[in-house]
Amino acid sequence: MSNLQSHLIRINAFFFKIWLITKKRVFHLFEILFWPAIGLVSVGLLTRFLHLDGDMVAFVLIGVIALSIVQIGQLDISYVILYSIWNKSLKQELAAPVSMFHLIAGSWCMGLIHALLVLFLLSAFSAYAFGFRLLQQGIIPIIHFFCGLLLTSAAVGIFVCALAFRFGGRAHVGANSIVSVMILLSGIYYPVEVLPRPLQMVSAILPVTYFLEYFRSFYGFSAGATGHPLVLGYVLAILYVTAAAGALLVAVHDSKKSGILLKMSE
Amino acid sequence: MAAAAIQLHGIHKTYPGRGAVPPVHALRGIDLEVDSGAVFCILGPNGAGKTTLIAILAGLLYHDEGRGYVCGFEISRNRRRIREVVNFASGHSNLPDNFTVDETLNYFGMLYGLAKSKRSRQTERLTEFFELGAYRKIPFNQLSTGLKQRLALAKSLINDPRMLFLDEPTVGLDPKVSRLIRERLKELNRTRQTTLILTTHQMDEAEQMSDRIGFLRDGRFIRIASAAQLKRSVRLQERITIRGRNLGMAVDRLQGIAGVSCTLLSDRQMNCQVDSREQRLHSILQSLLQAGAWIEDISIAQATLGDVFVKLAEPSDSD
Repeated sequence: MSNLQSHLIRINAFFFKIWLITKKRVFHLFEILFWPAIGLVSVGLLTRFLHLDGDMVAFVLIGVIALSIVQIGQLDISYVILYSIWNKSLKQELAAPVSMFHLIAGSWCMGLIHALLVLFLLSAFSAYAFGFRLLQQGIIPIIHFFCGLLLTSAAVGIFVCALAFRFGGRAHVGANSIVSVMILLSGIYYPVEVLPRPLQMVSAILPVTYFLEYFRSFYGFSAGATGHPLVLGYVLAILYVTAAAGALLVAVHDSKKSGILLKMSE
Repeated sequence: MAAAAIQLHGIHKTYPGRGAVPPVHALRGIDLEVDSGAVFCILGPNGAGKTTLIAILAGLLYHDEGRGYVCGFEISRNRRRIREVVNFASGHSNLPDNFTVDETLNYFGMLYGLAKSKRSRQTERLTEFFELGAYRKIPFNQLSTGLKQRLALAKSLINDPRMLFLDEPTVGLDPKVSRLIRERLKELNRTRQTTLILTTHQMDEAEQMSDRIGFLRDGRFIRIASAAQLKRSVRLQERITIRGRNLGMAVDRLQGIAGVSCTLLSDRQMNCQVDSREQRLHSILQSLLQAGAWIEDISIAQATLGDVFVKLAEPSDSD
């Protein structure tokens, strides 16, 4: 068996693990489908109550769908570690010759599938219930939008894993906090221009801000000051993925140095 | 001569302190050599550093100082290679709680990069070896403690390891399951030449299983020897119990023998503490017969590994 095959099997191990968790834990499936659906329906109804026109409905629902994709995409990566911490089986799994690359790649693949599922379900439902068609702008914009958000979700998920190696199972609080900060600062429900100036500066370093600007520009909204939101979004997302991966490697090293890894399995 | 499976020189490990918790110097210069295919048992009181040492050898914990080799791989530079050829199981093992026996073995087989056909073969073989065949579709959290432990051991053999670390593998198990596990481990060592590194608090297990025993105290090996050598090396008093008639007549004579201290429990029973049974038994019997005692029965209580443990676990005068 080639070295590449061996690596692919190890990546598949974590894909298989998340698949089993999804299959067996109703709560996980609930998280993947229930909250995004609730978010879309409640915000969609709010747009009706406020009598928003079609473009404004698009503006808000794009934000809701983007948030769901980031949330669901990061969930599987976070859970690949958190689940082992909650089960106290992390030591057993990391005694195997696996690296963080295998772990992230495998769980991210499942995150991609779950995020795609959410994208299609929310798109279909928003078209049916609120007349907003996400796919009407063609396939290329939606692919860029989705890929950018998925990269962002990877950065969040990997960072949560790094937190898990330092703080154990409490790290899931970090996941919720990061996503909440995004809701506040990335212009999920409103343009970032309405934020106070200092907060606008923070939103300028968040990739989701740019992916939203990019996709909303197809609905007549501003593409932002730079005019190249997609490039900026990708650059920032890749930077964050790299930084989160670095933080994860340092956290794993520190946990093996300090003995936290062993303690988390006792 | 067998190649060394483990070579360690001056391994130190200190857990950093945090807040009010001071740093803990868990290992203070470990030197060790274990032959390939051997069964080596690490004994020692709680907190002696046994689990820390195993975790370092298994690549789960980084040491601070010293150098070492496991299966020929340097422990600081080749951790991934080491993890490919070793495996470990601990008492009260935790595995993913709602994975069935089959799913658990399949998952861990994947973590070791095994192809599907090999995973299937290993699952068949190991479920049979540890008598788990009837429980293959049962989730881990619904298995009994003994079955969980058997699954943990099956998991630890999924990659056919050259070396297996066992941290109290039979803790909390009933004697029947413990015996099954010991038999399986001995069979594994005999048929596959798997090196076993074992920690336990069960002295009979240490004695039955191991070729050599290392006694760890305060982060150092203070004695490494076979069980028999350990018992001999620690000068523990043995007790000779004599039953018969007219034993009281011999007490004065017996007190005159160096290394012997006798207590008359009744005219028909006497206990003698001796420093060496081999050297003193003849003199004791001779004195009894010369004093006119009639001997009906003699029993000798030898030092056990448990006695050795208690003796070695005590702080010595130099501490």
